[in-house]
Amino acid sequence: MTFKRIPRVGIGGPVGSGKTMLIEQFVPLLSQIGYRSAIISNDVVSKEDADRMRRNLASERGLMPESLVIGLATGGCPHTAVREDPSMNLSVVEDIESAHNQELDLIIIESGGDNITTTFSPALADYFIYIIDVAGGDKYPRKRGLGIETCDLLIINKIDLAPHVGADLKIMERDAKLIRKDKPFVFVNCKTGEGIKEVADNIVKDVLFDLPPKINKKLNN
Amino acid sequence: MSTRFSNKLGRIDNINTNQQADDTSTSVDSLLNEVSMLQLGDSFFPTGMYTTSSGLETLFYDGRIKSKQDIIEFITVCLLYQIGPADCAALSNAYNFAKEENISKIVEVDNILFSMKLIKEIREASTRSGRQLLHCLLSFVPENTLISSYYNLIKNKTANGIYPVALALASNGLHIKKERACLILLYGFTVSITGAALRLGILQHIEGQQVIHEVKPIMTTVIHNNINRHFSHLWQFSPSIDLVQMKHERMDSKMFIT
Repeated sequence: MTFKRIPRVGIGGPVGSGKTMLIEQFVPLLSQIGYRSAIISNDVVSKEDADRMRRNLASERGLMPESLVIGLATGGCPHTAVREDPSMNLSVVEDIESAHNQELDLIIIESGGDNITTTFSPALADYFIYIIDVAGGDKYPRKRGLGIETCDLLIINKIDLAPHVGADLKIMERDAKLIRKDKPFVFVNCKTGEGIKEVADNIVKDVLFDLPPKINKKLNN
Repeated sequence: MSTRFSNKLGRIDNINTNQQADDTSTSVDSLLNEVSMLQLGDSFFPTGMYTTSSGLETLFYDGRIKSKQDIIEFITVCLLYQIGPADCAALSNAYNFAKEENISKIVEVDNILFSMKLIKEIREASTRSGRQLLHCLLSFVPENTLISSYYNLIKNKTANGIYPVALALASNGLHIKKERACLILLYGFTVSITGAALRLGILQHIEGQQVIHEVKPIMTTVIHNNINRHFSHLWQFSPSIDLVQMKHERMDSKMFIT
């Protein structure tokens, strides 16, 4: 028996860049307009991120069943788990697809924190978001790296910290445009939610292709 | 087959040409089977086994494993009392049933081994590895109806797809000999534990290879002792390791699936 593929978004980025908080910000926005998500969180040394998202998004806000926030240990190899050998992630994705194909609109796969060469296997993710933050310095976009260059959407987080760490957002904007050519990038502040709507809009447009949520669609039919 | 590529290599001219002798043909077939063995046994093959430590991580954090010798003893105990009489023997039986294309017996062996895996995370990791192994294999050996049938049973949740059974079917499908399929299993386990020990900082890279070398005779002994074990006589007995693995499963902060 085969199941129709549920669209998948992969999220990668260095340790502490804001991957988990980004998910905690855009999932409620998608939920407000009816889209239902599941989350697989690859963690390097703990289940803390998965536990936090399960508590914040499922237990407290009821945006998804607790069972649809899944933590995955990666044997200390976060990039291998999403690129060279994504078999453990794919297996979890298949379990989700077989059980929730009728109602789920999106599967979000968070990579463990890694370096700037992270990319997702196209077999695992249909759309790849890479997140960096200004605290790493305004040199980050021009340093390139596969993640920054090839992702479908580059997110630059913690813009409120820019003046405090001597990062010039204009330089980051200039370099991001240069490096990424026509591909999009967004400045965000995951603490306040600034810029998050643009992230959610990109997902609706480029991943969900503006299709209505599955449950609403079913009701309308 | 054209000799265009072999001529460029300058070593295997005449192989697979119309003039080849029968013995050369046999040798080529045999070599192809050996290459398939290398392919399935390579840690590059995508089965996700690098994510498991079989409880080694707990032993490390508890200070009970500190040296190369400790790692060798841990692997040896796992091979002799868990992997050998259970996984290796199950593989051997499943391989025999694959030769007979007896899928109901294959599922029976699958169910027995699945029920013997006491630790939930290990049970799930093994079925995930088995499923992904077959999924990958079917992408380049799509005509194998036995593997397709078994894979469909897994997808329909009427079979588990436990890794040793999946490996047995994959090996049979690629004409890898049974004892070599057993070697793939034992070698893969040894490498996954050694890799975990390297990443935990217990070993350095040269020591890792020394560990694998020292475990080689254990692998061959384990195969000799278990390759003819009937599936009604599968067993495992390593209660201390079971307890360690249960403890690992409940650790809040860990790098590895148990």
